[in-house]
Amino acid sequence: MLKYVIRRLLLVIPTLFFVALITFVLAQAAPGSPFDKNETKPLPVATIERLNRFYGLDRPVYEQFVVFLGNAVRLDFGVSLQRDRSVNDIIGQGLPRTAQLGVMALFVALAVAIPLGVVSALKQNSAIDYASVFLSTIGTTIPSFVLAIVFIYFFGVLLKLLPFVGWGDGLDRRMIMPTVILALGPMAFLTRITLASMLEAIRQDYVRTARSKGLGEQVVIVTHVLKNALIPVATVLGPAAAALVTGSFIIETIFSVPGVGREYIRSILARDYPIIMGTTMLYAAVIVIANLTVDLVYGMLDPRIKVA
Amino acid sequence: MYQRRIWPVLSLLLITSLLVTACTSTTQNPSASAGGAADPNGELVTNMGGEPDTIDPHKAQFNTEIGQVMMVFEGLMTLDPATLKPIPAAAAKDPEISADGLTWKVTLKDGLKFSDGTPLTAKDFAFGFTRTCDPATAGDYSYVLYVIAGCEAWNGMNVKKATPAELSAAKAKLGVKANSDKEIQFTLAEPAAYFRSILYMWVGMPARESDVTKGGDKWTEPATYIGNGPFKLTEWKHSEKMVFERNDSYRTPAKLKKWTKVMIGEGAVAFAAYRNNELDVNGISAEDLRAVDSDADLKSQLVDVGGAATFYYGFNVAKPPFNDANLRLAFAKSFDREAYIRDVQKIGKPVATGGFIPPGIPGYDKDDTIQKYDVAEAKKLFDAASPAAKDALKGLKFTYGSSARTKTRVEWVTQQWKTNLGVDIGLDPVDRTAFTALTKKPETTPQLFSLGWIADFPDQQNWHTTVWISKTGISSKTTGYSNPEFDRIVRAADKEQDPKKRDDAYLQAGKILSKDAPAAWIYYDASKYLKKPWVKGVTDTAVDSVLGEFRLYEIYVTKKG
Repeated sequence: MLKYVIRRLLLVIPTLFFVALITFVLAQAAPGSPFDKNETKPLPVATIERLNRFYGLDRPVYEQFVVFLGNAVRLDFGVSLQRDRSVNDIIGQGLPRTAQLGVMALFVALAVAIPLGVVSALKQNSAIDYASVFLSTIGTTIPSFVLAIVFIYFFGVLLKLLPFVGWGDGLDRRMIMPTVILALGPMAFLTRITLASMLEAIRQDYVRTARSKGLGEQVVIVTHVLKNALIPVATVLGPAAAALVTGSFIIETIFSVPGVGREYIRSILARDYPIIMGTTMLYAAVIVIANLTVDLVYGMLDPRIKVA
Repeated sequence: MYQRRIWPVLSLLLITSLLVTACTSTTQNPSASAGGAADPNGELVTNMGGEPDTIDPHKAQFNTEIGQVMMVFEGLMTLDPATLKPIPAAAAKDPEISADGLTWKVTLKDGLKFSDGTPLTAKDFAFGFTRTCDPATAGDYSYVLYVIAGCEAWNGMNVKKATPAELSAAKAKLGVKANSDKEIQFTLAEPAAYFRSILYMWVGMPARESDVTKGGDKWTEPATYIGNGPFKLTEWKHSEKMVFERNDSYRTPAKLKKWTKVMIGEGAVAFAAYRNNELDVNGISAEDLRAVDSDADLKSQLVDVGGAATFYYGFNVAKPPFNDANLRLAFAKSFDREAYIRDVQKIGKPVATGGFIPPGIPGYDKDDTIQKYDVAEAKKLFDAASPAAKDALKGLKFTYGSSARTKTRVEWVTQQWKTNLGVDIGLDPVDRTAFTALTKKPETTPQLFSLGWIADFPDQQNWHTTVWISKTGISSKTTGYSNPEFDRIVRAADKEQDPKKRDDAYLQAGKILSKDAPAAWIYYDASKYLKKPWVKGVTDTAVDSVLGEFRLYEIYVTKKG
């Protein structure tokens, strides 16, 4: 087990290295420069050359990459090309909000999806079952940015129930809409998975055995069905967490949440290379760690799977 | 199981009904508060779109950046909102200019103070100008100060390669110095009459050296971002909002107590927030116009503002067909600009009369009708064009940086030329970056393409000379335009100290330009915004980087609701 963990941890290094390499090369290869933000009023060529020189962008890409790597291993991602602030400062400011949004959304998704999936598996063709189908259809078919605008008009403008601009500290009413909308996608996905694996588990021989030996229905469901049905759910938590992280780009932009996702989008549009690199590495690390954690937890949940 | 299928259908219906309700909803009219007195504790809430990249006056480049500088700082000069001509601000009077036009002395008003109450001196101004020229500042906008002796040489140095001695030698040659606490002196590279207008700009804002040193990269945070303008920055929650409050040390205290600027990036969300009264003012895009037009309340809140930009079709004058001036003018006179704005562009002011410089900007020539839409006249010019040029029209292409928007626009104008002149023009969409690259070299410059110019400061020099002077002009470089007569007139006007003679000379140059037609003027920039009835005292100008830039202290709100 320990060997396995160490091997997996060591594999993180080349993964992050290649993510960095590919992102760096692609970002630099994308047309445009950090200093041509103003389409209708380009800066004088001499100014652009001066700025390129100042920020070291006149150097060959491989040289820039080596410099980047050297600093990155010390967790120094440099300074934004457009803002007088360091990448760590900008990410540090946005990360708590993005993390809070992601964790709250995951919590909401799980809190709704698991009970809903379980109940609809037990009571097929009931109102709850239909509700779960309704929810998962909306969550999977309608993109979050469409839902966001619909929610804003309905709950924000028409009913004036919920605010839709900004974020806040601690817990704030402004967090409700972005959290719920971000949660809808994974919620739909998790509901379907829970439902499917519950239905599968119910039909298993060991459930029949449990019932035939006279165990109560509640005991059968909780200790035999649910415990096994949740294993597939746990395995998809990694991808679900990744979906939350990437989904928050759009949600943060629409709801003006001052998080990392909004910064990520801006940096790509503005060709702000240090921020692109810093945020991408952060996301890569989050996704790698989420997947690793799930793989390890998987082994603990299901003794049939040997991770070592 | 068939029963289950009905739910997706029902849910879709529900969503559709939500959408329809949302679209047909009318804005609730906040009880009219017109005619109320200024609320002494009034707060204005506006949207700044996104986090400004910098609010450092010596680096700012965009309106979201400059707009914040203009609230917190005041330059030596400002602009008269009625004429956009420079008038004294922190300066006590107009600059004293030496006979050769090269030495400018500016005396400060008495009793000037920073917002924390400490006195403001000429040294703080000298520091500001010097900092803009300093290569270590690495600002985007330093080039407008290249008119100051020594600024270009110093600013262009490579800070990594040059020795400290070389850098300080270059700095010593900079033509900026504080003669006393009250007088600042500039030495210019040429007798530039337009320097008066540059003195209003953010690049020359005063700053306290101690604040910049103490704050370092973070000196633009509220603690050290201390200015002398009508407002002070009291809070900056990055990517969330900026809060400005009245600066009580300013000589004309602002009527607003507080001005909060939130950062909503999505236009549709900002529009919704405006309808919800969460924003008092909101910019409107062409896409939102339909929603505004169909709502009487919103329509009554719509404000039109002119802009400091002109957009035009550029001709490659170096090659046939457009080396023929008659042909160029024929093209320029044969498309209906009014229809273009109405049907295609939606927001903008068509160039009906007037040349390169937009209305509201010094130098606008209302008598310039040279490129006016006139099909009969255009046909005559077309017939007068040389056969060689007309031959070269075969296979002519309009090259443009492709996007859904530009395509409709280009299709529209080529259709006009086909109808009015009988010329077939192909469409040549290229990647936007590739397009920029094409226009950089004369050999690759397309025959026909779109161009535009947004002014740095409202003076004719920044239009005619900067854009159209032979070889180095921004648009001369791309079109290949060169007229020695035009060059001579504008260069003389740049240095002319007599305002009347100067204005007349530029008008003359402007007419030459319209007639030479290296470009066909299409429209002047304009914008629209919505303003709640309780927001008052706003004086808009064509060069505003922030709502009511040159009369910020006059803006007030009456009690809401």
